[in-house]
Amino acid sequence: MIFLALTLLAPLVAGLAILGLRRAPEALAIAGAGLGLIGALGMLVSVANGAAVQAELPGLPEMPLRLVAKPLTAVLALLVATVAGFVLVYATGYMAKDPEKPRFFGTMLLFVTAMQGLVLAGDWITLLAAWEVIGFASYLLIGFWHSRPGVAGAATRAFLYTRSADLGLYLGAFLLIGVAGTSEISATLATTGTPALISGLLLLVAAMGKSAQVPLQHWLQRAMAGPTPVSALLHSATLVAAGAILLIRTAPMLPAGALLAIGIVGGVTAVVTGLIALAERDLKRLLAASTSSQYGLMLVAVGAGAPVAALLHLIAHAAIKSALFLGAGVFQHDRDSTEMTDVAGVGRARPGIFAGFALAALALTGIPPLAGFFSKDAIIAAALTSPSALWLVPLALAGTVLTGAYMGRALQVLWNGDAGDKPGPIPRMAVGMAALVALAVVLGAAFGPLERLLDVEMAEAGLVAPALGLAAALSGLALGWLVPVARLLRGALPWAQTGFAVAGGMDSLVLRPALVIAARCERLEQRLLAAVRGLGQGALASARSARAVERRLYDAVLSFGHGNLSLADAARLTDTRGIDAAIFGFVERMVALGARARQLQSGFIHRELAITTVGVAAIIVALFAAPFLN
Amino acid sequence: MSFELMIALSVGAAMFGTGLYGALSQTNLVMIIMGVELVLAAALVNLVAFWRYLHPDEPAAQMFVLIIMAVMAVEMTVGFGIAIARFRSRGSVEMEEARELKG
Repeated sequence: MIFLALTLLAPLVAGLAILGLRRAPEALAIAGAGLGLIGALGMLVSVANGAAVQAELPGLPEMPLRLVAKPLTAVLALLVATVAGFVLVYATGYMAKDPEKPRFFGTMLLFVTAMQGLVLAGDWITLLAAWEVIGFASYLLIGFWHSRPGVAGAATRAFLYTRSADLGLYLGAFLLIGVAGTSEISATLATTGTPALISGLLLLVAAMGKSAQVPLQHWLQRAMAGPTPVSALLHSATLVAAGAILLIRTAPMLPAGALLAIGIVGGVTAVVTGLIALAERDLKRLLAASTSSQYGLMLVAVGAGAPVAALLHLIAHAAIKSALFLGAGVFQHDRDSTEMTDVAGVGRARPGIFAGFALAALALTGIPPLAGFFSKDAIIAAALTSPSALWLVPLALAGTVLTGAYMGRALQVLWNGDAGDKPGPIPRMAVGMAALVALAVVLGAAFGPLERLLDVEMAEAGLVAPALGLAAALSGLALGWLVPVARLLRGALPWAQTGFAVAGGMDSLVLRPALVIAARCERLEQRLLAAVRGLGQGALASARSARAVERRLYDAVLSFGHGNLSLADAARLTDTRGIDAAIFGFVERMVALGARARQLQSGFIHRELAITTVGVAAIIVALFAAPFLN
Repeated sequence: MSFELMIALSVGAAMFGTGLYGALSQTNLVMIIMGVELVLAAALVNLVAFWRYLHPDEPAAQMFVLIIMAVMAVEMTVGFGIAIARFRSRGSVEMEEARELKG
């Protein structure tokens, strides 16, 4: 459980820390990858001792997210962690002068985390999620130098190719979940009959996309636009391996029909991409095409009913191909190019690196006692003993011959030429590469214990298989070294150089439609935008008219108010000029009367008394006279 | 109307005339008050006379006399109080010099 968490979380935490802190990216990346490697190692040891290593996390209702380390997945996790660790060590040298280092290492670790998630996924939901993250991370990494010409296009191409094939995985996974009623992978593998056939073919489509099988092989060569460590990781143990891993893990479920389809797709790919590799004019693109071809051989093994043989070749190929890419990266570092004409003779300038490259190349070709010999031997033996040997054996042998041919050609180009200036030392890159070459050399010894761990019996075909394989490899090497490509391929050369773009290749089948759809979407969006704008302008106009109405209403209210005001004014005028004036006039007259009355008041008592007397007398007279007047 | 009544009324009229003349002619406040007293006394004489000669069995009339006497006392008190205050403040009770009551 601790190891499981360490395997997954150490790279993730380190990656997030790099992206968050944006400092010390190399140290953090190495620490994260190292801890992840320790986790994977511990996990494999636990699993080998019979312990159950798994975790169940809450996920969808009835479908918890499961992480399970079985012998098979633990081995793959260790492979991923190992290759990722060495590639990251190499990358600290390769990316030393890049100002965007944090972004590079952060994304790389995210990529590794996603790959571990895919390998250890115990249910389809987790697997789908990891699959998507891998696609996204590879898009970011291939497009890492997005400001360079053609890089963004290559990233988009890779993303679209794998994305369109991913539909197969979705349909296949949901079909399996629907039939089995659970999302647990080991439970869904019990599916039989037609659902198994259909979902097997759908999964094959997904694997064809991710593992760059014919006819979806084209994106992988373009993906060389990314930094070389990315290519090394992408081709060996992560992105491209995802397709083969998917088929290896689901192999127990696959019915005969699906197996035959897988075998034929793989065989055809091995031959076609082998020819492409042979015709290639760029070292890294040659290696890319060779990756497709080797994964084709793995699919042949799966198709032959020997997923363990495929697994062995996957492991051997991971170490070999990452070593080859790291070597190519060194040459690119020296010559600023990977064009065959540019790297010619660089092997003489760097004999150490060239030796490593050559060892890895021989291992890939299948020369004993190097790792590739044992895995290729297993594949040929599986093909010989399978029910569809008639189809698979010639394809596998042709693939082996072509492997020898293009690797021989690459070695010949690298060795024969002008050595040029003596380049400077590259310690970290050399360490990363040397470790991987060592793995490529000695891994063959680990295959025996591995088979016992996985508890499988490898198909035995006596001495026939190794003899056939060795003969094919040696003849291929000789052809590639001695015979010029143009004579070897004759009329097929230009065809192979364009990547067998039948009917425009998958470009016209996948890429153009996707871009046309994108353009349509753009136009639709423009129209939507115009519609929305029209809507807005209509709303604006109606708002304007509403404003006019409001203005009129306002005017009406205002004039009503003015009327009221003048009415009030009139009332006030009546008030002041009428009532008030009347009252004031009355008051004034009263005051005048008072003033006149005051004149009577003289202050002389006599006068007052006299007036009183006269008044009283007058009153008395009046009182007396009144009766007589009537 | 008996003769005695006529005599009493005549005396009252004479007193009234004398009092009125005195109140109107004199300038001294004390003298004016005395005139007024005379007028009131004339009214008393008349009242007593009417009671004695016309309704001697009605004792209520005497009440008027008593009330008028009380009024005279009060009036005199007030009037002489004013006079004394006037004299104290102005050294004179001549009403020709006192026009402060003018409104």
